Amino acid sequence: MKRSPLATLLLSLVTLLVFILLYGPIFIPIVTSFFTVKYGSVDWSQMNLDAYAKLTGNEGVIEAVENTFIVGLSAVAASLVLGTVIALHCNSGKSRSRALLQFVVFLPFLMPPIITGLSLLIFFREVSIDRSMLTIIIGHTVFVLALVYRTILVRLQGIGFSMIEASYDLGASAPQTFFYVLLPNLKSALIGAGVLAFALSFDETMITILVTGTQNTLPLRLWAMMRLGFTPDINALVAIILALTTVMVLIAARYLIPKDFAGADA
Amino acid sequence: MAVLLELKGVGKAFGATRVLEHIDLAVEDGEFITILGPSGSGKTTILRMIGGFTQPDQGQILLDGRDIAHDPINRRPFNTVFQDYALFPHMTVAGNVGYGLKVRGTANAVIKQRVGEVLDLVQLGSLAARYPAQLSGGQRQRVALARAIICQPRLILLDEPLAALDVELRKQMQEFLKDIHREIKTTFLFVTHDQEEAIAMADRICVMNYGKILQLGSPTEVYYRPHSEFVARFFGDNNLIEGVAGDRGSVATPIGTLPCAADGTEPAAGAKAFAVIRPEAIRIGNEPGANTVVAGQVSSVNFGGAATVAVVDVAGVPLRVKLPSRAEGLPLKVGDRVQLAWRTEDCRLVAA
Repeated sequence: MKRSPLATLLLSLVTLLVFILLYGPIFIPIVTSFFTVKYGSVDWSQMNLDAYAKLTGNEGVIEAVENTFIVGLSAVAASLVLGTVIALHCNSGKSRSRALLQFVVFLPFLMPPIITGLSLLIFFREVSIDRSMLTIIIGHTVFVLALVYRTILVRLQGIGFSMIEASYDLGASAPQTFFYVLLPNLKSALIGAGVLAFALSFDETMITILVTGTQNTLPLRLWAMMRLGFTPDINALVAIILALTTVMVLIAARYLIPKDFAGADA
Repeated sequence: MAVLLELKGVGKAFGATRVLEHIDLAVEDGEFITILGPSGSGKTTILRMIGGFTQPDQGQILLDGRDIAHDPINRRPFNTVFQDYALFPHMTVAGNVGYGLKVRGTANAVIKQRVGEVLDLVQLGSLAARYPAQLSGGQRQRVALARAIICQPRLILLDEPLAALDVELRKQMQEFLKDIHREIKTTFLFVTHDQEEAIAMADRICVMNYGKILQLGSPTEVYYRPHSEFVARFFGDNNLIEGVAGDRGSVATPIGTLPCAADGTEPAAGAKAFAVIRPEAIRIGNEPGANTVVAGQVSSVNFGGAATVAVVDVAGVPLRVKLPSRAEGLPLKVGDRVQLAWRTEDCRLVAA
């Protein structure tokens, strides 16, 4: 069936409108970050990088960004190691204890974050761990572990047992099999899972509020600033984060599609 | 020939299912032995036990007089060609083939030289830099074989390696595997469900079903001298005539009392039994040297390429007769009355 030109035009307009409504709000801070904002209105006459210059002097925000990266990277590293170990274990056979372990891994991800956060808070208090960066890292690791574990497990199942058996059959030890055969085939899954885990950790707020000590991560800092109103340098921050996020999504897309397996499964 | 590997009383159960019952099998040094059976017969389980991928519940697997049944996979001097080849997708052909030497800490120069030699042997010298995904099925098969022979194992285990190939390629690979076997003189233990493949390749065939070894012998032995109804039927297209065993290896059937060759494995007198005659052992007309002659009526004639199969109704029992085809057709029509003749040594007696 052929559409009339008018219908095509109307459909295009509706589509455009949907895109503007969806993505317009994202572009506004990017655009305004390059202009001066005074008394609540944007001065369009002159493009400048004042907002970016101001951002470098905003110590509170910079510290929060630093904390966010420390937490995110630590949680990614911890969850990748734990996720790999648990996935290897669960993939090696079927048993009730393995099913239970998998359930425990998924629980913090499936529960409302406030419940996960409260449970962690009570746990830390009961075992007398002072709330600090460490407790935030533990909280984030627990939260992102499910995603990392699941991604690695799916890849492991794709690899299958015979490749591992073949490695042992040819005389390799367990560490040799892991480093020569498993890790190279898991690499893209690990990178993809790491990027996604970092993204989750980056904007995690609810758990962080409950388990933080005096440290602020970026979402907490922004939340706190809302009461006072945002300064223009926050626009610059949003623009930078958007750029970073875009790069991360591209990396994740590149590595989560298992190119290295195409055609190898005849 | 000397015995390389011996299975003694090996048994295995998965849960309540017994997959292997008390298997005794001696693999001779340098032979090409095929384990043949339908799916679920336990043939792959035997291979996996020898390779170390599964442990037996009972019994011993003896290599040089030592029980290796519970040795880890990587300590056994055997290598396996897997059904799905299990090539490493992230390594080149050379990387795959050289892996066994690499994990043993062999010097790079030596690995390179040996990989070159083995790839030449399997005629893949020009593809060393390719990845498995860039190869055809037959080429992957040869990489898997090269990878298994490079460490000079005592025994090569082949788990239905030709199952994924099309008919033409499979025939070529059968020849190829036999050539390699002759060349390197390593013992091959080959698992298959394909009777023709087993007959074409093996020095000895071990026929299995329901976790038991039913018969072990040369291809002609298991083909022409079956010891059981299953083996007689398994090689296809056979004539089995039901009757009651008499004394001195004869069997009383609806078409008369047939004398059979005896080799000590036949059922006792009075037991239900089958007389087994291969269709190609039956002649039309009274041949000199034939001891058994019966009369019947041709009920169908089917041209099948090299051979033509005629079905002759003898007193209500249909007998298949396989004859060499001729371009002008055979002088046989449906309805003809003919005499069928065979030699006593071509007729076997098995328990029903």
